Amino acid sequence: MSEFVIKRFVQTIIVIFLALTGVFFLVRLSGDPTLLFLPPDAPKGQIEVFRHTLGFDRPMYVQYIDFISHAIHGDFGDSLVTKESALGMILSSFPATLQLALSAFVLSLVVAIPIGVFSAYKRDTLFDKLGVGLTVLGQAIPSFWLGLLFIYFFAVKLHWFPTGGRTTPISMVLPTVTLAIYSMARIVRFTRSKMLDVLKKDYIRTIRAAGVSTFEILTKYALKNALLPIITLIALDLGVLLEGAVITEIVFSWPGVGMQIMNALMDRDFPVVMAGIFLISLIYSVINFAADLLYSAVNPQIRLK
Amino acid sequence: MGKKMLMLVTAVLMVLTTACSSHSNSENNLKNKQLVIGLPSDATTLLADTDVNSATDVQIRNIYDPLIKRDAKTGKFKPWLATNWRSINPNTWEFSLRKNVKFQNGVPFNAEAVKGSIDYILDKANKSAYLSRWASIKEVKVVDNYTVQVITSTPYPTFLHRIADDFLVMEPGYLKKVGLKKAANNPVGTGPYKLHTWKRNQYLRLVANNKYWAGKPKIKKVEFRYVPEFSSRLASFLNGEIDLFDNVPVDSVDQIKASSTGKVEQVKSARVDYLALNTFSNGPMKNQKVRQAINYAVDVPTLLKTQLNGYGVQITGPLAKNNQDYVPTNAYPYDPKKAVSLLNEAGYNPKKLTLTLDTPNGRYPMDKQVAQAIAAQLQKIGIKVNVHVNEWETHLSKIMQHRAGDMFLLGWGPSYEGQTTIQNLFTKSAPFSGFYDPEVESAINKALPLFNEQSRKTAFGKIEQMLVDKAAWVPLWQQENIYAVNKNLNFTPRTDETLQIFDMSWK
Repeated sequence: MSEFVIKRFVQTIIVIFLALTGVFFLVRLSGDPTLLFLPPDAPKGQIEVFRHTLGFDRPMYVQYIDFISHAIHGDFGDSLVTKESALGMILSSFPATLQLALSAFVLSLVVAIPIGVFSAYKRDTLFDKLGVGLTVLGQAIPSFWLGLLFIYFFAVKLHWFPTGGRTTPISMVLPTVTLAIYSMARIVRFTRSKMLDVLKKDYIRTIRAAGVSTFEILTKYALKNALLPIITLIALDLGVLLEGAVITEIVFSWPGVGMQIMNALMDRDFPVVMAGIFLISLIYSVINFAADLLYSAVNPQIRLK
Repeated sequence: MGKKMLMLVTAVLMVLTTACSSHSNSENNLKNKQLVIGLPSDATTLLADTDVNSATDVQIRNIYDPLIKRDAKTGKFKPWLATNWRSINPNTWEFSLRKNVKFQNGVPFNAEAVKGSIDYILDKANKSAYLSRWASIKEVKVVDNYTVQVITSTPYPTFLHRIADDFLVMEPGYLKKVGLKKAANNPVGTGPYKLHTWKRNQYLRLVANNKYWAGKPKIKKVEFRYVPEFSSRLASFLNGEIDLFDNVPVDSVDQIKASSTGKVEQVKSARVDYLALNTFSNGPMKNQKVRQAINYAVDVPTLLKTQLNGYGVQITGPLAKNNQDYVPTNAYPYDPKKAVSLLNEAGYNPKKLTLTLDTPNGRYPMDKQVAQAIAAQLQKIGIKVNVHVNEWETHLSKIMQHRAGDMFLLGWGPSYEGQTTIQNLFTKSAPFSGFYDPEVESAINKALPLFNEQSRKTAFGKIEQMLVDKAAWVPLWQQENIYAVNKNLNFTPRTDETLQIFDMSWK
């Protein structure tokens, strides 16, 4: 077990290191931000002076070594735009992203698990086909477009919700639903198939014969047994949700990590981009690690090596 | 069981719906007081004189005051914190300052504040992006409490334009006391609005400065709200959440006009858009006849009508009509036959000619679509045009490093006098027009030191005609800036593209 944890820890560090290295060179492929910061009529000499003060006139490998040696100490430098700590900026927008991802997570559980359970119970009926069909449709629709559609109907036409921002609790509703719909389909289908497996089992037939109510059979006996693998899948989904939050944040002007990284990319604010990538790859690795631990808890045959 | 579950879901939905309807009511009441302006991006800092980004400038101009303002319609200078100014000699400008003006922290405004703010730009440690334009300032001299002199190392006839467009006065004592980091989040100016709260990437809220020297602002509360996605911005406007936003694309104008709460306001900006013919690349554009041929083959009035729905004014030379150095020139008429014969004279068969055209995407009104329409027009005389659509920074660096194609689309401005356009576009070190001709450059060098306005205009007028004759580029149009405005807001759009809330009011 401890060997496994150490191995995963080393893997996590390697993953983060590779992600940072890749992004470091990728964002620099298309040039540096000097031109974006200066007025377009800035004389060439002045551009070079400014580039020098930002340090972008140094060879790429020098910039890279400089970056890595600071990043190891958790120092991602100051934002080129706001001159505040880059990691601080990312961390300050993280609660917004976490709030969105978690509420979408809870919503998709609350909606998807009952649909999955009931679809399995009413297998091949209209409810089953509609339930599964609609959720799959939800996953197939790009969240960018779905978000705009929601804004149009529920904000502009019906005036039920604000179109975006994070000012009141109610402004959470549309982005949460948009994001939740994205992961619902997987949970519905997975719940349904796990439930079908369980419902076929002999002990279900036995307790049914013993006169236990359908509701009790489904919740107390069948779902309880199907739940662990479902939770594992869902835990993995949290990473996907954080990822999907980026697009949703932009559509709904939700001030989270995704919007922060997007803005930083547009401004070529490299330190903020790097700090954002660091946080996201860290969280992703941790979630994956947790999911692996859960797997072994669900099925001890999977050894943690 | 299914019924129980359905009932639960319905109940949750009902609670949510009730909650949000009560919310929208409370927001409607607030509306009477607070003006909400939608912007695509946040300010980078609330310090003045630091960042040239227009999103920053548009917001902080309501907190700080300039020495010289511009008239909303004509762009002409208006005294503001400076009541008077004159040039003592070609290297010295003198400003008389307004008395009885106070900063929002109670400190009086005076010559030391002006000196401190200019010195802030000149200090390299502050990394002000304006330094590149202000590098020729040698010294700022405080003559007395309300008189200040700016001494330049070389004659600087257009210095007043830099004063009007770049410079806002900060409180140097405050900067020194709290430090730049704190001041960047807690600005103190002499302007009509004070900071209320700034939530990065969300909003900047301002409240009226009721002790403002020019009178109490009519609108008491303001919020700049950041909505990066255009469709979301439009939806927020149609939903009544924001009252004003700029850069409305021409294809969304009808939707705003048709809405119950919105109207559209427009103004001809002092910004020009053009198709550059790149003489820096070793292509056919080095040949004047080819450049003339392209001018004859591009039908600007039709582009204006079909791509911009008529929102814009055709220009024929390098300057906008509201530029003080503008002189009328003749347009090249649309004449594809003449274009073909000119190409033949230059030794090119249009049917065998392939050109590249670089365009940004979304930087100027309908830029990508205009580029594609130009390609289609040139195709009519047989020229094959490959359109390259670039992200903005890539486009800019391609042009600056002379890596752009045979043609590229670019805009310039807002600019109210000839030099900022002509010197920055048509000299050898300036890459933005793609055109260079030593004869033009020597004419520019003769015009630059001229101090008398009339002789400057004559000199620049000659250059403008020269550029048309040499077919330096294809002049397209003066942009029309389009704003979506709440019907209850009195708002006059300005040619300088700033949003001055002090001049706005509720109906």
